[in-house]
Amino acid sequence: MTAFLIRRLLAMVPVLALVLVIVFSLVRLIPGDPAVTLLGPGATQQQISALRLQLDLDKSLPLQFVSYLGGLAQGDLGQSLKSGLPVARELLSRLPATLELAFVALIGAILVGIPLGVVSATRPNSALDHALRVGSLVGVSVPAFLLALILQLVFSVWLGWLPVSGRASPFATGAGATGFALLDSLLAGNPRAFLDGLAHVILPATVLAAFLAATLGRFVRNALMETLGEDFIRTARAKGLTRAEVVYGHGLRNALLPAITVVGLKFAEMLGGAVLTETIFAWPGIGRYMFEAIRNRDYPVIQGTTLLFALIFVASSIVVDILHALLDPRIRRKVAS
Amino acid sequence: MRLTTHILAAFVAVPLLSGAALAQDADRAKTLVVAVPSDPVNLEPGTNRAEPIGSEVILNVFDTLVAWTPPEFGKLEGRLATAWTVSPDGKVFDFTLREGVKFHDGTPFDAEAVKFSLERTKTTNPYVQATFNLIKEIAVTSPTGVRITLSDPYPAFLSILAQPQSAIVSPTAAKASGDKFATNPVGTGPFVFKSYKADTEVVLEANPSYFRGAPKLSRLVFRVIPAASTRRLEIESGGVDVVQQGGQLAAIAAEDVAALAKNPNVAILTSPSQIIRQLEFNNNKTEGPFTDVRVRRAIAHAIDYDGLLSGIFGGTAERVYGPLTSNNWAFNPKVKDLAPNYDPKKAKALLAEAGVDPAKLDLKLYSFQGALWGAVATFVQANLADIGVKATIQQTEFPALRALQTSGQFDVALDGRQPWYNDPDAHITIGYLSDLAATAMTFRMPKDAMLDGLITKAQQTADTEARKQLYFQIQEEIVKRVPGAYLFSPKLIVFARSNVKGLVVNSAPPLNEYWSVSKQ
Amino acid sequence: MKDAVAFLRANPLALAGLVLLLALAIGSALVPWLSPYTPTRLDILHKLAPPGPTHWLGTDAFGRDVATRVLYGGQVTLAIGLGVVALAFLVGVPLGTLAGYAGGWVDAVIMRVVDAMLSFPGLVLATALAAAFGPSLQNAMLAVAITLAPQFARVARGQAVAIASRPYVEAAVTLGLTRGRILTRYVLANGVGPLLVQSTLSLGSAILQTASLGFLGLGAQPPAPEWGADVSLNLDYVRSAPWVALAPGGAILLAVLAINLVGDGLADWLDPRRRAERD
Repeated sequence: MTAFLIRRLLAMVPVLALVLVIVFSLVRLIPGDPAVTLLGPGATQQQISALRLQLDLDKSLPLQFVSYLGGLAQGDLGQSLKSGLPVARELLSRLPATLELAFVALIGAILVGIPLGVVSATRPNSALDHALRVGSLVGVSVPAFLLALILQLVFSVWLGWLPVSGRASPFATGAGATGFALLDSLLAGNPRAFLDGLAHVILPATVLAAFLAATLGRFVRNALMETLGEDFIRTARAKGLTRAEVVYGHGLRNALLPAITVVGLKFAEMLGGAVLTETIFAWPGIGRYMFEAIRNRDYPVIQGTTLLFALIFVASSIVVDILHALLDPRIRRKVAS
Repeated sequence: MRLTTHILAAFVAVPLLSGAALAQDADRAKTLVVAVPSDPVNLEPGTNRAEPIGSEVILNVFDTLVAWTPPEFGKLEGRLATAWTVSPDGKVFDFTLREGVKFHDGTPFDAEAVKFSLERTKTTNPYVQATFNLIKEIAVTSPTGVRITLSDPYPAFLSILAQPQSAIVSPTAAKASGDKFATNPVGTGPFVFKSYKADTEVVLEANPSYFRGAPKLSRLVFRVIPAASTRRLEIESGGVDVVQQGGQLAAIAAEDVAALAKNPNVAILTSPSQIIRQLEFNNNKTEGPFTDVRVRRAIAHAIDYDGLLSGIFGGTAERVYGPLTSNNWAFNPKVKDLAPNYDPKKAKALLAEAGVDPAKLDLKLYSFQGALWGAVATFVQANLADIGVKATIQQTEFPALRALQTSGQFDVALDGRQPWYNDPDAHITIGYLSDLAATAMTFRMPKDAMLDGLITKAQQTADTEARKQLYFQIQEEIVKRVPGAYLFSPKLIVFARSNVKGLVVNSAPPLNEYWSVSKQ
Repeated sequence: MKDAVAFLRANPLALAGLVLLLALAIGSALVPWLSPYTPTRLDILHKLAPPGPTHWLGTDAFGRDVATRVLYGGQVTLAIGLGVVALAFLVGVPLGTLAGYAGGWVDAVIMRVVDAMLSFPGLVLATALAAAFGPSLQNAMLAVAITLAPQFARVARGQAVAIASRPYVEAAVTLGLTRGRILTRYVLANGVGPLLVQSTLSLGSAILQTASLGFLGLGAQPPAPEWGADVSLNLDYVRSAPWVALAPGGAILLAVLAINLVGDGLADWLDPRRRAERD
């Protein structure tokens, strides 16, 4: 297992190096002058040139890249041009909000997606199957901003059940140690704060989860139908196992492995949706931080957020591989040999 | 399938909400929640660069020596100063300070604090350097007396002292916090800074010993909500009590106003601003069609000003005729007649007279991003098309637009100025003095001995009436040169729940004061 | 042709998608003759009119007919989608095929770049790129195409690897055919099915992502009737005149849904295992 892990991590090195090159170069393509943003209107030309100097912008590109890498090695992602605060710290303080939202969405997507996939697969080509297939296609086709707006209108303004936006009521009490509001409120034994946090997370998590639940549902359906058609299932049926035993005992277990891959890969993809979702729901995470950085041309923040998204993606693909290896020893041996 | 999620959500939500409602205890009636469009930054005078939200927090946590008196904002009143005199040459300002005032940290407010604060801002805040550099000396004449001496006469200086950047900080706290003071601001104001959560909220609490009397609210929460549509839904559902004007300035408020006007739970407060939005020419260019004043005039005649106001803004903006808004004390009414009116025929005739074929004018119309500017640009584009001029809209983020503008790489652009102190100087000097043409987003006026001389003289004339006459003359001269087409002045629009009373909306800078606010 | 008929018979959902897509395409193509309005001419007097007999989907804040704008937007959107997919295809497929066929360090280099590109959530990379290039429709399309190309490369590589080892390709090599001819004749020709599925599904993502960039203000410039930008610019009116934002928003949903229905059906149909069952 250790050998597998080391190999897997080593294989990530060239990819990560290329990710860094991409992240570094993409913000250098931006026309316009970041020194201007930092100083705002009313700044003089001298102040702007002084700042360009300070920000390294007058150095050659390779030199800029070297100092970028040097900074990264020390956990330095530069400073936000808008607030002057260190990007790494700003990102870390916002990461829990995004991860919390993403995990709730992930759990929701699994709880909804897998059962629907199973239902669909066990009744192929029934009316229910068609309805679920169309529904899941709607889930992958709906633009996030449209879904968000409809949910806000229906559940917050018309029905008044859930808050329109934000992560906690401005009247709620208690900030916690971990930065994960839901976890903190549970640890602190504060059910009110927990329920308040839950009420706030439902709508944005639904928007994020729609895509993943739909993708997962489609995937589980196809995988399960395939497995159910295979020989060992036929054997199991012939042995007299009930339909349910076959579906849940054999079919689903075999469909689960590829489903984990899908969830792992799409989890990070789903995070991309956080840029829009967090902005619409005033959710204080890294997606919204990136959105505002793009508006303000905040070079270091755009760079830092893009890098962080990529790191999360890489990390989740490693987690998927590890899970695979744990569940299926054949993979472990194949990679290690 | 999402339907199932919703039903599930609903089952979870209903009991949740009753729980949440309990959490929102008695506190609610004395807490005001204000929706703001972006994260508050630079919450202290020494770093503030006129960021609207940071400035508003400053105005409620700190005090300035003087302030404009609501609701007219035409007269200064004392805040931390009780009285002041100005020397006849306009260079020496003597202030008598209020006694017995304490900062939130318990230290006393005195003349040393005034000296400390203004000198501190002068050295740390590049945004106000141009005006603060006029300060030659700040002398403490007694514990309650301060004398400020300027190197040149500058009558707008009192306006500068009413700006958030001139607020008085606690020297003890500022020294102790160092560069963290912006996240731990300590002043004398009606509210005490409590906490700041990035991208989420700033919480202030009442200062019970405020010298004008304790505020009626006990807490003031600024909630950051970036999306305009979300802020709108929040005020409708009662999630926030006030939607601050900053967001409305960047969105088309007409429809919000129309829709919210029907909602008995929401009150709409509007007041005129001194903000001007214009189509400006690159007046520094030495070649090209727009060097001919007839061509510039033709463009100005092509625009349907009233159509823009009623069609796009539906009464949420006012007409602007020249370089100052009609509510400015130095506004010259004669400019109303001098300004080009909507007359497409005349526009075409002027182009013909100048020998310019409109079909050959292929313009790039630069503007800011967002729905409001998109709408204005679309309207102007259609107006220009009516006189045969083709324009392509190019909406650009602020920094890139500013770079294009200050380097002069444009012919026409949509732009605007939001004056940060209440004086004609805030529009005229920065906008039209040729020396400053490339330092900011200006009209890029070419060297012009007469106009430059007038502007500098007006800036330094101490006598108000004489100054006013100079500004009258300046406005006429500027309008004659047609440096742009003055499009509109947006009104300040604040949405508030109807139980919110006593809100003071300042016009320049456009910021709210919450000291007198109560919820009923 | 016979295949196509059989495919649509077996896949009623795909048929529905195709019909929807064709209706949209035909409507968009014929809109200059179908509609008495133009998409960009202002008519302030009739602004924000609700849906009715003269304006089927109402008018927007400038008095422009929303239905007309949505259909013209269909031209823009379908052109965007096809353009982006074509670009992604032309960049990704040759690279992927080369990687799969050549193997060795060529494969390693190309696929590491592909892996790196795929390490970014699509929308994040597209947003960052579009922000970098500057806001315009061409730049948004380019950004989305760049983020989609690696997926094509990956599919093409998989096909190339699978097909290159088949007996008939090996036979071609012994017959002395040049690499280029082998690549085009066998590898590409036989990989058409999966690439077709990939193209169809990418078409949906391309439209959705370009619309999202338009929504973020990084795509089409006004007054172009692009759907994403139209939703974004009209969100201010959503409470008083919801049709202005919901019509283009719904159009995005329908178009992407139609494309995904077809793509989904194709994926099913071309799946080799099912194919074997059927034939």
